[in-house]
Amino acid sequence: MIRLEKIKKTFGLGTAGEKTVIRNLDIVVEKGDFITVVGSNGAGKTTLFNLISGSIFPTQGKILIKGKEVTQDPEYKRAKAIGRIFQDPLAGTASNMTLEDNMMITSNKGFKWPWISLTRTMRQSFQEQVKQLEMGLESRLKENVNTLSGGQRQALTLLMTVTSNPDILLLDEHTAALDPRNAKIVMDLTKRFINEKGLTTLMVTHNMNHAIEFGNRLIMMDQGEIIIDVKQEAKKQLTKQRLIEMFSEIKKRDFENDEVLLTS
Amino acid sequence: MIEGIFVEGLIYSIMALGVFFTFRILDFPDLTVDGSFPMGAVIMAACLHQGVNPVSGLVMAFSGGVMAGVVTAEIHNRLKVPHLLAGILTMTMLYSVNIRILSNRANLPLLRVDTILTKLHAWSDGFIPPEWASLIFFILVVIVIKKGLDLFFITDMGLMFGALGNNEQMVRTQGVNPAILKSIGVGLSNGLVALSGAFAAQYQGFADVNLGQGIVVSGLASVMLGEFLLRSNRISILTLRVVLGTILFKAIMYLGRYYGYYINMTPNDLKLIAGILIIISLAAANIRNRKEKARS
Repeated sequence: MIRLEKIKKTFGLGTAGEKTVIRNLDIVVEKGDFITVVGSNGAGKTTLFNLISGSIFPTQGKILIKGKEVTQDPEYKRAKAIGRIFQDPLAGTASNMTLEDNMMITSNKGFKWPWISLTRTMRQSFQEQVKQLEMGLESRLKENVNTLSGGQRQALTLLMTVTSNPDILLLDEHTAALDPRNAKIVMDLTKRFINEKGLTTLMVTHNMNHAIEFGNRLIMMDQGEIIIDVKQEAKKQLTKQRLIEMFSEIKKRDFENDEVLLTS
Repeated sequence: MIEGIFVEGLIYSIMALGVFFTFRILDFPDLTVDGSFPMGAVIMAACLHQGVNPVSGLVMAFSGGVMAGVVTAEIHNRLKVPHLLAGILTMTMLYSVNIRILSNRANLPLLRVDTILTKLHAWSDGFIPPEWASLIFFILVVIVIKKGLDLFFITDMGLMFGALGNNEQMVRTQGVNPAILKSIGVGLSNGLVALSGAFAAQYQGFADVNLGQGIVVSGLASVMLGEFLLRSNRISILTLRVVLGTILFKAIMYLGRYYGYYINMTPNDLKLIAGILIIISLAAANIRNRKEKARS
């Protein structure tokens, strides 16, 4: 589904502030994979998502989506295959427009022509869709989205993203800005939608329990590299304790290597 | 005089609808308006002097405005220039272009040619007085344009413009190139502005390249005044209040022009009044927002 080959991303190339945030990254995401992505701040998780969705371009390397090279394609061209949800609950919806307008906008991807699709049957199907959220939004379709709470907006964004049928779902800490109760609601919905639709998903999370509980694969990033990649059966056996052990082992080894380099 | 206020208000409301489109829907503060409004006027005048029929003249004026808007949007898109600067560039260039369109003249009277209004008056002569015929005509024109816009904004493309003004990321996520939407939107907006200029020239009986000075400010003032009249999130009400706001704005300007001398005001002070109106509207909107925040 997604293949990244030898990706390198350097910001401020050729300036004093030059910083390489992704170095030599290779990953193949299979169709139907649900990958949780963990790593400390600055590990390159969001940069990885930006590279996949095309809001930034790699300094080196190739990106393939569904077998087609998209390395230099702008974001809007790849968007047909990708649904992305951000940490900020405001980022996925248009505040000053009604729920039904928002749902109409996201109901199909690609260029829009000036004809009217927002018909009564469309409104009814939107009503059915928002019922799945169990938040009582079905009676508020004509209200502006900015009257909703953060949790409601993020749940709506999730629903809108999923119903636009993307091939790949990118979740960038999409529950991190919500209170624990709403975060749980949105997380439960996420799990349900991904299972129902069998979506290929990458999810960045800071919640170790989520990272271990969800998905069939876990990757840990550190300083722009994937240092841990646990798949399928091994992922099922994985515990928080084990993950921390693996991380410290790798870190220790790195540290020793560095020392060897310095002394020689 | 009262029908004069309404006719002028209606003519300028077409321009204000264009300003509303860019400033409020697209969130693209577009200053091209100061150039595209007289552009519409001079294209219309040039067409009429060439013997082109008025309806074709209006179409030409509209098209000219669209092109001006597209130029602004493309300068912004391709060269990554801020929208304000892109608008000022086009507006300044249009000043020269407009003089060219008038064959190196700064103004052109329309007294000896048949305008859409003289044709209308010739037809209505005998059963409706000319002022009232103009009023009815412009009411119909504005209704058609307003209804057309209302419909346009609920189409899939129209909704995309709303999304663009709210959240550009959302447009990209939907697989639409925001640059193309901006060109279409700013183009259409300036088409309306030029159309308004074409009507204004015919109503006043002359076209002048300086007709556009401060027009964007008066359009914005009209939009803001309208926002105090009605509150809603329905597009039909939003466009209606632009029209009402423009008529109110024109009424205030009329009062200033005819009764201003009581307080030592001259017509030269009107632009100052327009600016002050905007500042008052902004301040009032600020206070209202703060109150609402405090309540919620």
